[in-house]
Amino acid sequence: MDTLNALFSGFAVALSLQNLFLGFVGVTLGTAVGVLPGVGPALTVALLLPATAGFDPTGALIMFAGIYYGAMFGGSTTSILLNTPGESATIVTAMEGNMMAKRGRAGAALATSAIGSFVAGTIGTVLLTFVSPFAVDVALKFGPAEYFSVMVLAFVTVSAVLGASPARGLAALFLGLAIGLIGLDSQTGQARFTLGVPELLDGLDIVVVAVGLFAVGETLYVATYLNRGVDTIEQMKGSIWMSKEDWKRSWKPWLRGTAFGFPFGCIPAGGAEIPTFLSYATEKKLSKHADEFGKGAIEGVAGPEAANNASASGTLMPLLTLGLPTTATAAIILAAFQQYGLQPGPLLFDTQPELIWGLIASMYIGNVILLALNLPLVGVWVKLLAIPRPLLYAGILIFATMGAYGIRNSWFDLALLYGIGLLGFVMRRYDIPVAPVLVGLILGPLSEQQFRRALAISQGDLSIFVTQPISATVLAITALVVIVPQAWRLVRRMQANAIGHHSPI
Amino acid sequence: MSTRARIDAGELLISLVLLALGSFVAFETQGIAETQGYAQVGPRLFPYVIGTGLMLCGAWLAWQALSGGWRAMPEEAETHAAPDRMGFLLISAGVVLHMVLIGWAGFILASTLLFVLVARGFGSKKPVRDLGIAVVLSSIVYFLFTRGLGLSLPAGPFGG
Repeated sequence: MDTLNALFSGFAVALSLQNLFLGFVGVTLGTAVGVLPGVGPALTVALLLPATAGFDPTGALIMFAGIYYGAMFGGSTTSILLNTPGESATIVTAMEGNMMAKRGRAGAALATSAIGSFVAGTIGTVLLTFVSPFAVDVALKFGPAEYFSVMVLAFVTVSAVLGASPARGLAALFLGLAIGLIGLDSQTGQARFTLGVPELLDGLDIVVVAVGLFAVGETLYVATYLNRGVDTIEQMKGSIWMSKEDWKRSWKPWLRGTAFGFPFGCIPAGGAEIPTFLSYATEKKLSKHADEFGKGAIEGVAGPEAANNASASGTLMPLLTLGLPTTATAAIILAAFQQYGLQPGPLLFDTQPELIWGLIASMYIGNVILLALNLPLVGVWVKLLAIPRPLLYAGILIFATMGAYGIRNSWFDLALLYGIGLLGFVMRRYDIPVAPVLVGLILGPLSEQQFRRALAISQGDLSIFVTQPISATVLAITALVVIVPQAWRLVRRMQANAIGHHSPI
Repeated sequence: MSTRARIDAGELLISLVLLALGSFVAFETQGIAETQGYAQVGPRLFPYVIGTGLMLCGAWLAWQALSGGWRAMPEEAETHAAPDRMGFLLISAGVVLHMVLIGWAGFILASTLLFVLVARGFGSKKPVRDLGIAVVLSSIVYFLFTRGLGLSLPAGPFGG
């Protein structure tokens, strides 16, 4: 089917009253959880999974996607006004945008991030629309061996390449994989690691794991270590509209940020942190106002904000075409597909075109709604920041326990929730990343399935993974992404030693 | 980078727990019946690989802990200097009591208690305000998710 035709029929789906409403709810919720510190899109989608089991899948997924990219919009508001990144991808904005707010230019900072997010989100969606069909063509050639190799690539990038420490990242990944082993083996139906507990036969529900790590663990950590002092909220000073000068200084960073963000979202290199840092470094280098960086340069807000939004659209490409999640939120959205008995991948474009294209079309609409929600109505969201911390976290835990208990009305899930919460607390305390746990948990069983299928085809010959050209290429790329950053780090260290100081980024 | 003089007990403990967990996974795997089929590998291979991976990561991190501490840790010594143990305990009590209570006291009562305890754990000095908000929020959540979204939550003695 022609892409444009498919997109138009997608709009017909997305513009139905029900889907329009769910999309609106999604982006509104997304903005809210993006603004609120302590709640993120992964947690929100996980909490809604049990309650949406009876929904029409298209509508539910439109809502979940809306939460995902809506949170990217909302996160910037918190970063600019509070200097606490609402989302990990808005760390850079927290530095530069907060300085702008301190100098009385909060309005312009909020405007450039909202418009930049809109521009990047829309371009990202256009790219998603027209590149996906090509990705599907490639993905159709994938057999079990190729899928397994791609999953290995995702494992390696999410755990070993991103983040501060490969050792801690890999430990988190194997922990997630180990949790994923619990339950019935998909091929032989044998119980593994259930320790004789009947509640464990279905495996650990991703909702319990995600909510335990993100809500309970985070709450315990904040209460124990971070609950001191009061955050200062910057006043909404300055016009919400950008001056001619601001536009002139913003539009190029928006486009460059998009160019960084989308490809980084696509490749299994998870997360929006890297492209936001790259965009920030680039804008600093190219700007005529380099001296303003660190004191509130508008380019340093415009570029990274565009980058994190474009990467959110980019993330949906491997998710939809290959069923490959590259961020924690994407892993939960994959779990949502599975809840409806759907496996994202090239075949879904054939069997459920109205779902896929309805989802993509809804993102065009969602971005427009988000621009309206975040620019003229930004004052409403700022009020959320005034919720006292005790009430905010107490509320988060009510939703957390509701989500865990609502799965099957079992106290056992609440015990697990607390246990995993303790795990999350320790992981946060010792800087062990959480995303690899979720990616390992959800991709582990799938990768085992593909691995054993591949070997069933090759009659147990392991060389199938390196003799198939696509699989071999993917594994070669995996080796490269491990080696190149290490070599790069070594070169940088030698250079830094030669100059005698460390460069800031 | 300057090496720390002392070994961080927590870092070492976590590394050893990972080692132990990996050994446990590998040990338990022996109890899984092996059926190979065409693939020549059965339900034991992945558990073995994952158990080994956990052990290797544990050993790696233990070595790091013993040789100057885990690498690239954020500078948070100040943050971690004075943990609020009371806050931790109050929130833990809230979650555990919720688990015990929800079956017979119902969602609204259990959640109200949870809310008040968590707010107290965060240092709230206004228990009456917290209680009021807790009752209202728990009730809204209860009716929104059970009546609106079809989730099943226990009503407790007052519901019906």
